[in-house]
Amino acid sequence: MTTLIKLEILRALRNRKFMFFTVIYPSALFLMIAGSSGKTDLVPGTRLSMPLYYMVAMASFGALTAVLMGNSERIAKEREGGWVRQLRLTSLPGRGYVMAKIASAAVATLPSIVVVFIVAAAAKGVRLGAAWEWIALTGAIWAGSLVFAALGVAIGYLASGDAVRPLTMIIYFGLSILGGLWMPTTTYPRWLQNVGDWLPTHAYAALGQAIELGNAPHLKDVALLAAYLVLFAGAAAWLYRKDTRTA
Amino acid sequence: MTATTAPSATGDRARTAAAPPVVSFTGVNKSYGTVRAVADLELHLHPGETIALLGPNGAGKSSTLDLLLGLRTPDSGRVEVFGTTPQQAIARGHVGAMLQSGVTGCLMEGVTVRELVRLACDLHPHGYPVDEVLERAGITDIAGRKVNKLSGGQEQRVRFAFATAGASDLIVLDEPTTGMDVASRQTFWGTMREQARQGRTILFATHYLEEADEIADRVIVLHRGRVLADGSSAEIKAMAGARRISFTLDGPPDEAALRALPALTGLDVSGRTVRMRSTDADATVHAVYGLGLYPRGLEVAGLGLEQAFLAITDAATTPEEAGR
Repeated sequence: MTTLIKLEILRALRNRKFMFFTVIYPSALFLMIAGSSGKTDLVPGTRLSMPLYYMVAMASFGALTAVLMGNSERIAKEREGGWVRQLRLTSLPGRGYVMAKIASAAVATLPSIVVVFIVAAAAKGVRLGAAWEWIALTGAIWAGSLVFAALGVAIGYLASGDAVRPLTMIIYFGLSILGGLWMPTTTYPRWLQNVGDWLPTHAYAALGQAIELGNAPHLKDVALLAAYLVLFAGAAAWLYRKDTRTA
Repeated sequence: MTATTAPSATGDRARTAAAPPVVSFTGVNKSYGTVRAVADLELHLHPGETIALLGPNGAGKSSTLDLLLGLRTPDSGRVEVFGTTPQQAIARGHVGAMLQSGVTGCLMEGVTVRELVRLACDLHPHGYPVDEVLERAGITDIAGRKVNKLSGGQEQRVRFAFATAGASDLIVLDEPTTGMDVASRQTFWGTMREQARQGRTILFATHYLEEADEIADRVIVLHRGRVLADGSSAEIKAMAGARRISFTLDGPPDEAALRALPALTGLDVSGRTVRMRSTDADATVHAVYGLGLYPRGLEVAGLGLEQAFLAITDAATTPEEAGR
């Protein structure tokens, strides 16, 4: 099983397109959006400066991309192509395939978070109150990405080869934009903000924002993410079993 | 074909099998909606056999293999592999299997041949060294290539390596030589024969009848989810009426008299030309002379497995079709 995990990680790191969208793209977006704003410009409705806000937003966005985009499409394609069936004819335990997918996504997430931080610190002079905040921030965004890894697996088992990309895109952009990863939701109409407040991406970005202000993440955000994790993981497990019975 | 006798003996031949069967299907049924893919299937495979599973498309070959490999569960009946469930047998490394390739390709995209084979070797409880597996499958020279950049035949060989990466006692192959050219097909079956010599049981589904004829020591013909014939390829041919006899007569033939000929399994009279199939050509031809007939241009030819196969499945289809 460790061989499968290693291989999954290896091919994720080898995939140039994937690495571009998870590592370079979020950093580039950060520079484009936060590039013109000064250090003291506050995001409306928050106590965060533009660079601080976007650093967390883009690190979360990169992590989201890494865990959601890679897995959903891969799983759907490999299910259809017969690779999943072939693996079931080996001694690999049933859950091994999904575990390897999540593990490799977790590893691929780290560079996307860290590179955004480095770019933010180097290009925009972002500084946090204490060194531990950097570590806490990385840890929170990394741990939070597990929610979306579960969602990616669920989509992979839900959709078939042709439908998986558009479906993933809709969910991906919907969650990113409405959850405030691309721009602060404070600029949205009230009702849209209300919707956004309940999305996992909003709670996800809020984790990092709380740490940036020197606080612990809000209990509401953590609880919301935990609820989504249970929901997505439950859906993924149910869809996986359904697929195993009929493959 | 105007006359055929229904093929008789189906099911298992009496075997003096000392060892317990490798695979046992007992009264297995499987339906998809209203389609009955496998119907009351009884099947027992014995250690060391090389078995070909033959049948037209939709005969239930793939369903049978899916049930055998535990990819599907039967609606009723029992499937046992090495005395346990298919899943258990696979987890213990008893079974190596190579499935039909999917439309979009079936291997792990983005990794090299060597990496993929190493994965198979590591996953198997009794895996062989990677280089040995590569060598045996004849893919040492392409070990550095990405698996998604292979030709159809190369991919088949990689999949074969994946299925034979460890010391499995049963090897299951679903249409293994699809996409291979003649040369690599021969190499492939050479490797398979070597595996059989080591005492492995090999089960393969194929639609190349010459493969079944040359490789298998037991041929099972499936039709509509049932075993239609089960025996050596010589026995299958005999069952269908292994010889074709044709001749021309001077006058109009007496069909009733011809139909009463011994060992006759098929008769077709058109004008003064008579075509027959017989399980014992010598006896049949002798009896033709015995009728006082003088056949001109007498020809006796062997029936290939392909024609035998068509004759058997035809015979099984016709009465049912007529009844509709």
